[in-house]
Order: sequence, then structure tokens, then C-alpha cells
Amino acid sequence: MSREALMTRTLVKLADTLVDDFDVVDLLTTLADRCVEVLNIAAAGIMLVAPEGELRAMTSSSEAMRVVELFELQSLEGPCLDCYRTGQPVVNNDLTSDDGRWPGFAAVALATGFRAADAVPMRLRRQVIGALNLFRTEPGSLTDDDLIAAQAFADIATIAILQHRSALEAQVVNDQLNHALNSRIAIEQAKGMIAEREGLDMEHAFARLRNHARNHNERLVTVATAIVDGTAVPGSLDPLSR
Amino acid sequence: MVSGDRLLRILGRLTSGQGPGLGTARLCAVCADVTSMSGAGIMLMSGDLPKGSVCTTNGVSEIIEQLQYTLGEGPCVDAVRQHRAVLEPDLARPATPRWVAFTPPAVRAGARAIFGFPLDVGAVRLGALNLYRDRPGPLTDDQHADALVLASVAARAVIGMQADADPGALGAELEVGTNFQFAVHQASGMVSVQLGVSVGQALVRLRANAFADDRLVADVAREVISGRLRFDHRDGQARSGR
Repeated sequence: MSREALMTRTLVKLADTLVDDFDVVDLLTTLADRCVEVLNIAAAGIMLVAPEGELRAMTSSSEAMRVVELFELQSLEGPCLDCYRTGQPVVNNDLTSDDGRWPGFAAVALATGFRAADAVPMRLRRQVIGALNLFRTEPGSLTDDDLIAAQAFADIATIAILQHRSALEAQVVNDQLNHALNSRIAIEQAKGMIAEREGLDMEHAFARLRNHARNHNERLVTVATAIVDGTAVPGSLDPLSR
Repeated sequence: MVSGDRLLRILGRLTSGQGPGLGTARLCAVCADVTSMSGAGIMLMSGDLPKGSVCTTNGVSEIIEQLQYTLGEGPCVDAVRQHRAVLEPDLARPATPRWVAFTPPAVRAGARAIFGFPLDVGAVRLGALNLYRDRPGPLTDDQHADALVLASVAARAVIGMQADADPGALGAELEVGTNFQFAVHQASGMVSVQLGVSVGQALVRLRANAFADDRLVADVAREVISGRLRFDHRDGQARSGR
């Protein structure tokens, strides 16, 4: 497959968040693997910020890279962290001629076999959610085309992740909405059953339901659901005190 | 016009009102206003079934929502089931007849063109926006594009209204102005006792009775609650009681 075809296919795959089995880890694994292929580098990995605010290594295309990334997170120094903090690309860092920016990181990376490291931000407007890290075993520079491709992959993946998060939140809220509505519906149904069985109007049927729930320290919806299910009958509810 | 400008223009219209909060009434009014329609309504659905109405701008859009709730068919129901915009530019003389029960009373009420747009956030389907006009004719491209943005904004607005609610409760803004057909569920409870059937079966009977008499299920429910209509006569036919 040509580089252009592979890039296009990667962008389409990264953008496809509407599939039912969308999975963030799958997306990140695809992102890392395709970076290695398209950019012809040794390894790629992604760090994302957790809800609590700390960066986490989410995926690495090689175990060696994973070790270096975990060290970076522990020692709090390295190109990925700088990239995340500034929201700017940190590129073309020859670790063999390290200027002393990240002494600990450079030593560990070199010992693991890496000679150069780059990082591009995972960012949508002002929101930075992590960094895409690119490790190479040969020193030298990535081309401008490589950097554009890496940033494009990171951008699309970022949008996909943010859309997925917002859809997940919407799912939770929508479930809560349906749950609240179903509770209300059960209460209204129970009121109707009590009203019919006991010859009460809706207001008094509700008073009877609420009074019983209070007396027995039960939730209104629990008592209502028992009536609707038939596990309790309206006549068994405590009478209203006169 | 690019969609970003469209979104900003619509958000501007929504937020230009006085006072905090958006409110369901304003949401519907802006939907009708921006698209130059005669009226608008927002229906919530759970699965394939209408759950109730978040807002309607006038009596006709209320009848449109109530008919769909009663009959389980119409543009909103189709928009959610088919997950796409449903467009009927000439309801009285449709190119392809559909909604055999919904159409005659909707036309009598004054709807001559009717459009349904699904309300979703990602893969979460909440319901549908319905727009109607009192004369036939298609949507312009611009109106159609606006309606898509409005449906998306409305979906997020509904999620936002529920987002801060207490567990098990409806959001404050969803408590007022909405119509979740609580009277119908009270009547279902009463009819379930009258017939010795489940509340689900009782609701089916209420809907069937409304359909047979060409009425809204909400009107039938009111008669049941007032005692003017009972379902427990020996021949199995509902009839006026007392």
C-alpha cells in the first residue's frame, strides 16, 4: 500500500467513533501501530491525562518503549511531559547529544536502544488531553511531512476520544433520565391502581402511597413498583390516619 | 455558510433571552423561529416508543405530539427508528402514503408539511424534533441544515437539563412545561384493576380505545380518571359509567 493510501485509511479509521464497539484502547493501538508504519520509526506510544489530572501511559507499540514511558512518568521529565505541559510539539531531540534537558530520561532511553524522541500534543483548541510519542533508534530529524502526518493522526484521534467521552456522558445522563421517568411512571400507575381499588381520588391515592412509604422507611418508587408488579395489593397499604 | 457559523448563529439565538437557564419553551420557540416553521415540538422516546413531550410551541404541535404518543406512528417515531431526517412536504397529498392513522387528524389540526429530525448525541438516541408548517412545501437547503444543527443542540440541551438532577429525579427544567403523560399512566393503573390485567396491557387497551374513537389517549385517560369511562363491563366493551 502506498504511504498516501495508508494515511487516508488511517485517518478514516481514527475518525470512525460511531461504531457500536468503539473502544479507546483499540483506537490508541491503531494510532501507535500506524505511526510506526507510516513514519518508519521504531516505536510510538500515547499518554492521556486521567480524570484526576495525571498523565498515564495508555499504549506503546513496543515493550521497550513502555519501560521508557513509565520511567518518564515516574521521574517527571522527558519530551512527552514537556509536550503535554506546553501543548506544543517537542521534536527532533537527539538523545546522544542531549543538552541536559532530561538527563535521567536520556540515559534510560539510550540504555533501551532509542537515540531520538519526538512528541506531538493530543489537543483540541485549548484542551490538551495527552501526547503522541515517537521514538527512533537512529538520530536525525523527522521530515516536515512526517510531522504533519503525526499531528494529523493525533488531531483526529483527539477528536474521536473527546466525542466518545461526550457520548458516554450523554449515555449515562440519558439512562438517568429514563430511570427517573420510569420511576415516575410506576408511581402514577400505582396511584391509579390504588385509586380504583380503594375508591380514592388521585390526591388521596398518592397520600396513601406516600404515608405507607414513610411509615416503613421505604422509597416511594419501591412501594409503587410492588403495587404495579402485584407483589403488594393496594389494600395492604397503611390506612391514612384521620 | 459553513456549519460553524450556523451553530454560532443558532446558539446566539438560544442564549439571547433574559434570565438564567435555557428552558424548554425557549428551546422549542427558537427551533420554529430559526427554520421559519409554523410550530415545533421535541419528543422523547425510549427505544421505539414515545415517552412524552419536552415542549411544543402551539396547539397544533401539541396535537402532533399527542397523536404520535397515542398511535405510535408519525414523523418523530420514524426519525428515531430510521435514524435519519423524515420529510413530508405535502402531508395532505403525500407522494408515498404513510402514517394512515396519524395523517388525517394531523391534517385536520392544520399541519400541511411535517418534518422529523432525530435528537442524538453520538450513538445515544433521545427522541426527535418535529417541525410543521401550515402550508405544503419542502424545506430549503438552508432550513434543512439549520434543523440538523437545532436537533443536535436540542439533544445536548436536554442532556444538560438532566445532567445536574438528583439521582432518580427529573432535572428541574424538565419538571416544568414538559408533558410526560402522567394522567395516561394513572388511567392505565385504574384500567388494569378494572380488567385484572397488567398496566402494560391496560395501556394498550387505552390506546386501542382512543384509536377506535378517533381521539387522543390523553382525553380517554381523563374520562377514565373522572369515572365517566370504565372498561369492566361484562361484554368487554368500554363504555360510559355512572
